[in-house]
Amino acid sequence: MSATSDVIGARLPRREDDRLVRGAGCYVGDLRIEGCLDAVFVRSEAAHGVLRGVDLDAARALPRVAAAWAYADLPFLPDVPPMMDPDSVRGRPWPPLATDRVRYAGQPVAIVVGDDRYVAEDARDAVRADIDPLPVLLDPTDAAGSDVQLFPGSGNVAAEKEFGDPIDGAVWEQATVVVEASYRQQLLAHTYMENRAILVRPEDDGGLTVWVSHQAPHRLRRDIAGGFGLREEQVHVIVPDVGGAFGGKSETWPEYFVVVAAARRLGRPVRWLEDRAEALTGPPHGRGQNQRVRMAADADGRILAYELHIDADVGGYPHTGSFVPMATSMMATGAYAIPQVHVRTRAVVTNTAPTAPYRGAGRPEAASAIERTVDLLAHRLGRDPGEVRRRNFIWPDAFPYDTPTGFTYDSGDYAKALEVALNELDYDGWRAEQARRAAVGEPPIGIGLCTYVERSGAGEEFGAVEACADGSFVALSGCCSTGQGHETSFPQVVAAVLGVEPQRVRLIERDTAIIPQGIGSFASRSMQTGGAALHRAAGRLIDAARQRIAERWAVPVAEVTYEAGVLTAGERSASMADVAAGGVLRADETYAPPEAFPFGAYGAVVEVDPELGKVSVLRLVAVDDYGVVVNPLIVDGQGRGSTVQGIGQALYEDVRYDSDGLVETRSLLDYLVPTISELPPTRFAETCTPNPNTPLGAKGAGEAGCIGAPPAIVNAVADALGLRERDALQMPLTPYTCWSAAR
Amino acid sequence: MTLVHLTLTVNGRAYDLDVEPRRTLADALREDCGLTGTHLGCEHGVCGACTVLVDGEAVRSCLMFAVQCDGAVIRTVEGLAGADGTQHPLQAAFSAEHALQCGFCTPGFLMLAAGALEADPGVVGDAERLRELLTSNLCRCTGYEAIRRAVVAAAGDQHPGQPESGR
Repeated sequence: MSATSDVIGARLPRREDDRLVRGAGCYVGDLRIEGCLDAVFVRSEAAHGVLRGVDLDAARALPRVAAAWAYADLPFLPDVPPMMDPDSVRGRPWPPLATDRVRYAGQPVAIVVGDDRYVAEDARDAVRADIDPLPVLLDPTDAAGSDVQLFPGSGNVAAEKEFGDPIDGAVWEQATVVVEASYRQQLLAHTYMENRAILVRPEDDGGLTVWVSHQAPHRLRRDIAGGFGLREEQVHVIVPDVGGAFGGKSETWPEYFVVVAAARRLGRPVRWLEDRAEALTGPPHGRGQNQRVRMAADADGRILAYELHIDADVGGYPHTGSFVPMATSMMATGAYAIPQVHVRTRAVVTNTAPTAPYRGAGRPEAASAIERTVDLLAHRLGRDPGEVRRRNFIWPDAFPYDTPTGFTYDSGDYAKALEVALNELDYDGWRAEQARRAAVGEPPIGIGLCTYVERSGAGEEFGAVEACADGSFVALSGCCSTGQGHETSFPQVVAAVLGVEPQRVRLIERDTAIIPQGIGSFASRSMQTGGAALHRAAGRLIDAARQRIAERWAVPVAEVTYEAGVLTAGERSASMADVAAGGVLRADETYAPPEAFPFGAYGAVVEVDPELGKVSVLRLVAVDDYGVVVNPLIVDGQGRGSTVQGIGQALYEDVRYDSDGLVETRSLLDYLVPTISELPPTRFAETCTPNPNTPLGAKGAGEAGCIGAPPAIVNAVADALGLRERDALQMPLTPYTCWSAAR
Repeated sequence: MTLVHLTLTVNGRAYDLDVEPRRTLADALREDCGLTGTHLGCEHGVCGACTVLVDGEAVRSCLMFAVQCDGAVIRTVEGLAGADGTQHPLQAAFSAEHALQCGFCTPGFLMLAAGALEADPGVVGDAERLRELLTSNLCRCTGYEAIRRAVVAAAGDQHPGQPESGR
């Protein structure tokens, strides 16, 4: 690239790729650490029960087994800390190895450590756990009202909250139309291609080096240090290459603490490489909400009131999932200005595996509820679903817009996104085709829309830029790429501010010994928050260099100008490298821009086989607005990938439990993620409404498709089937579900 | 457990190993040969991340035992690039088309495609055969379209002609 002015927005190929396409990446399982042992976990085969004892003798007697330990053998194991919401875990402790009770199938009961996974798994199979079964609760609404308590004395509702104000009852009586519906957000498995992985090496000074496949290394460092009574600087967390995360690797999982304890007790490096059956059994699982909605509107389709009740399944322990339905609640009203809104949300413990954020993390659930309901409303009124949406949109002149649930939307043009989507879809053409098919009796098609708003970014992030004496620059970020390409896109941000070639900037992140603080990568926050922090840090680096040159040359700082890596005052000039040669030249920044609210419009056309119930997606259009896009190659890729995950939720993916609370979908032949064969013809487009709250102007990207695609597809199927009542149409829309719903 | 002596010829180099009969080819490659480019995604033969070529055929190395491959010619992702380090056309195309994000499934897709293109480059000219090929493996990041474009591009056809390919 010769010019640097257009670095923001350049489709630069990724620097990460060369090592990854050569098989020269390094994921946790690829590390070769001298003397490292393999750990496997003995897991509860009951979903709920009293743990009477664990017989480890046979396991310990096997050759090449270094240890087989239950909780009683590791009494200093700290409880798992809550991720966000300490109130929800009060009275509900989560010991990393079960003590007297198990609350989900798959809960760790003992750890076995051996020379390799083969012998460790032999030993695992030799362990006997004695568990007396208790009644099993699998549905959050049932669990909320059950006499069976997972944590006796604490109740099954771990968190309960209301948003907005109770709705005046007269609204329901006086409205022209009131629609009610129930929706199920099924449980999903994250299905990152690399399962969870951690390797812990105890160091001679009592500290630890931890290599882990993770999204938030500084939080994990804090949790490990806090749990084991270490100072944070004694815990060195390194995140090597990560094979996908999608929200399931932000957490401090119980297995991590057990591996730390085992490594310390053995005085040897120990690693745990989760297998796929463990990953699919969970935790983590995502979604898992029962939703009940009510919406009132006048004859013109103007929404008067919206009520949403959520019972969220947080699994056996609320530590990682209880805040997710609160995120759903705050996004409840989506793209619409609704006078009266009330949300009541309960996070309920059950005997499923604990839930956690999964790509979208509460926003897909919110968008699905309101978008399905608006479509139902339009259907009842006999109006076009696009028209009803337009009638209720928050319009561009209303921003910043305070929602009744407590957010302040920054900016948006929802009608424009919808217009682009309808054009890309050829909406009128498909409506004509729909009518033609109906007239001649051909298989029905349906058209579904979704106009979503999401929240991205939260809190602060660390960024620093240092000029080096060799003319290069180093950017340091508290974010943590798990496949998003930060090594490519963050240098673009810094290079654009500095006016230098992106190749002169390299990124360091994912190492707590080098990066002093950080939050991590989740909630679509990296570019919006971490990128904005680097943007500011680069600007401050220029300021610092000008100041230093002004002192060196004894001129007023205002006379020192900066352009493209060169400082000038009068006849004199110096490069940033010159300045750096005179002493460390670095600017650190911690920046907390407000949350942003990306948005978009999705449209789907489906055909439903009337005999077999099979859904064929004939067309899918995704229009997203992420604000300023730094690297469209990367953002487009995430848009496409998240859309395919959204198709997965709509049509295929479902964590199924049997009545005893055991997961039935424990292989990738049972848990169906989309392959290339499930790709519909898809078009992507964008609008650009820059983030008004940061100079960079980026909003979050990466989760949109999981939010926009499912409701568009479900609405299209409902349209194809002409359903007046839609409660039978619950995701995933399997052939049987659609066939049944049509009858 | 009794160990079995065998020789794996991987990317042109012979590895003399003593392994348990139950040791998978994938573990032998990763742990005993040190070739960690072959990744394990499911260990039950569905995801395809561990795909390698054995005597030219794409196989799931998690579903083969190392002892089955005694004397066989094995190729892994580490053997794709030229001796001078030049990227294989598939490697270059995967990067150019952004056909990888986290990169964990990438070695499996590369070896799957490498085997197929060597057997019959015409596979890319038949959309149905290409779909049938690439549906073997799972990717959770890219949404596949870029992978399809990359394989087509690597086969020498610069005009994938996918009407639905969008941008």
